Amino acid sequence: MNQDYIHIILADDDEDDRLFFTDVFEELKMTTKVDTYNDGVYLMDYLNSEDAVIPNVLFLDLNMPRKTGMECLKEIKANDKFKDMAIAIYSTSASEEDIENTFVFGANIYIKKPDNFKKLKKALSEVVTINWQYHTSGLNKDNFLLRL
Amino acid sequence: MPLKTIYKAPWFVKAVFIVSFFLIFFVAGVTFKNMNNLSDSSDLVTEKYELAIKLEQILSYLKDAETGQRGFIVIRDSTHLAPYFSGRENINNRFVEIKELIIDQSEQHKNLIELGFLIDNCLDNLEKTQQFIIKNQNDIDSPGFERLFYRGKRIMDQIRAKIKVMLHYQNERLEKYQATYKSNLKLTPIFLYSLMLMSLLLLIAGYFKIMSNLKKLERTNRSLELFKESTNQSEIVSKHGTWTWNINNDSFKFSDNLYRLLGEEPHSFEPTIENFLKYVHSEDVEKLTAHIEKMKEEHELPFIYFRVIHENGNIKHLKSYGKVIIGSDARLNLLGTTTDVTEETRSFRTLEERNLELERNNKELSAFNHVASHDLQEPLRKIQTFLSRLEEKEEGNLSESGEKYMSRMKNAATRMRLLIDDLLQFSRTNKADKVLEVSNINLLLEAAKQDLAEVITQENAEIKADNFPVMKVIPFQIQQLFANLIGNSLKYKAADRAPEITITCNQIKAEDEELLSNTKFDAYYKITFKDNGIGFDNEYAERIFVLFNRLHNKDEYSGTGIGLSICKKIVENHRGYIFANGNPGVGAMFTIFLPIS
Repeated sequence: MNQDYIHIILADDDEDDRLFFTDVFEELKMTTKVDTYNDGVYLMDYLNSEDAVIPNVLFLDLNMPRKTGMECLKEIKANDKFKDMAIAIYSTSASEEDIENTFVFGANIYIKKPDNFKKLKKALSEVVTINWQYHTSGLNKDNFLLRL
Repeated sequence: MPLKTIYKAPWFVKAVFIVSFFLIFFVAGVTFKNMNNLSDSSDLVTEKYELAIKLEQILSYLKDAETGQRGFIVIRDSTHLAPYFSGRENINNRFVEIKELIIDQSEQHKNLIELGFLIDNCLDNLEKTQQFIIKNQNDIDSPGFERLFYRGKRIMDQIRAKIKVMLHYQNERLEKYQATYKSNLKLTPIFLYSLMLMSLLLLIAGYFKIMSNLKKLERTNRSLELFKESTNQSEIVSKHGTWTWNINNDSFKFSDNLYRLLGEEPHSFEPTIENFLKYVHSEDVEKLTAHIEKMKEEHELPFIYFRVIHENGNIKHLKSYGKVIIGSDARLNLLGTTTDVTEETRSFRTLEERNLELERNNKELSAFNHVASHDLQEPLRKIQTFLSRLEEKEEGNLSESGEKYMSRMKNAATRMRLLIDDLLQFSRTNKADKVLEVSNINLLLEAAKQDLAEVITQENAEIKADNFPVMKVIPFQIQQLFANLIGNSLKYKAADRAPEITITCNQIKAEDEELLSNTKFDAYYKITFKDNGIGFDNEYAERIFVLFNRLHNKDEYSGTGIGLSICKKIVENHRGYIFANGNPGVGAMFTIFLPIS
């Protein structure tokens, strides 16, 4: 699929966080298409539907009702259809356990939600402009967590 | 000494009696033999006199016959001839008697035969004389008579000589015999007497030994009696009873207290399995019966727990253990102990309940931690993000006081974040399930310095550290400890000089260290952090480790009062000790003791 914009999807149950997220991309001078889903079930329903457009980057919150980000990650990684999709974990917590687990299950990067809008903007713009092929080949546990 | 050991030997009494028995037996034998000898010699004496008498008698019969004949010749009265006629018969009788006496003496026998000839000759001569007298009309003057008369005298002399020989022989025999036994007899009484004395002495020793054994036995019996009594008491105090089961004849012995454990008076019922099982809780009967059956076969089994019900309805928990002892007579005896564990069971239950409660509390606490760390962070993060948005977008539109409030709000939010982060860290240090690993402490210190690299450069701080040995620690916690202590020194630096931190490490013995008393370990690593900061009054040396405790106003020094509490927690996790020592205006020193295990 040839496209002149970056397709981004965010799955997060928190309305404020979805608002910050979309605000960031509105302010960033980038051609992006941002879709948001309210939890893991909505997200997976969309991704598994026939006419789904596979995004370039998927932002996954971990702590969601009905279906957690971890469950989504496992499902996505089990499906070959999504092998080109970059997955960024986007969570409030940065516990060792969560970082370790998501790394093991094949997420590409881990972002701890910053407490400052400027930092958020910086982080998200960095993530969407990453050359994923290059980043993934040199991925290890130390650079998995995005340092701000 | 060896005599004493022999006396003390358990076989002593037996040996004494065996030896005495043989001694007495021997003495009796010897005495018997001597008595025999004595009677033999007295027989010989009698024999000698008898022989002498009989020989004399023969001689006198011969004389009588001769004298009678001479009387007849002189007076011509035939009544004088009576001894002459009876002489032969009497002599023959004596002769036979003598023959019997000397039956086993060949020499004497020969003499007797010779004597017989002489006697026959004598009697023959007398006969011839008689016939001569009758034929020649008593002509005693004829040469024929004279010849006969002299012949008779000669024969008579020979007979006397022979008898003398015979008596002499008999005398010699007696003397010889007596000489042989006299020497024996002289020694025998002393010998026998000493033997008897010896056995008497032995018997006395045996008697004393038996008496002392008896006394010992009595003493042992007394102490056994005491022991039994003390066992009874200890059974009552420690609430246990014992029982013996003779498997061969299926009989039981219960100790007094075993009855009491069942709520009964001692020996109030026949000790059998059936009677015992009457008291056992109906749910436990089957289990216990199976266990008893198994006990008979396996000879040793682990404890069994069961309940009994007293007559008044009280339920008691009992614990039993039994072991088969094979006696010297190959009898199987099952020795068992039964203990009342009702109280233990009860306190165990209570303990279990408390444990459950503690676990519940712990879970609640960790849930609270999660809420504090995670769920509180989320709204705070949003407040901060919205604040930053507000600041960015509405910066020019706010009044002066509005901006002031904004900045106050920002400070408050930052402080809250700091508190939450520190609390989270404190709760993480709380976890007890961290494992000790052999770690390179130098690397951990480097990592801690790396964490604080920015501040260290900014403050131009100098950190000098000894080389650390390898220790067994929880690595990330020790790194945290170092970072907190260095951070603390950097925060409370003196305004007029660059911070200097000196870290030392050495091994010490607990007994040599006055700070340590009643420690669990003998040796410790002593690590000190010394700085040249503002220090503190030693009065607060203990308070600074208390959670949320601060010595300074938060306007002067930022902080939550959690950092040093974390340090204390970490050191305690390692079963160590931490002490603080301050000198206002000069510096502070923290001393850590980590056990060497």
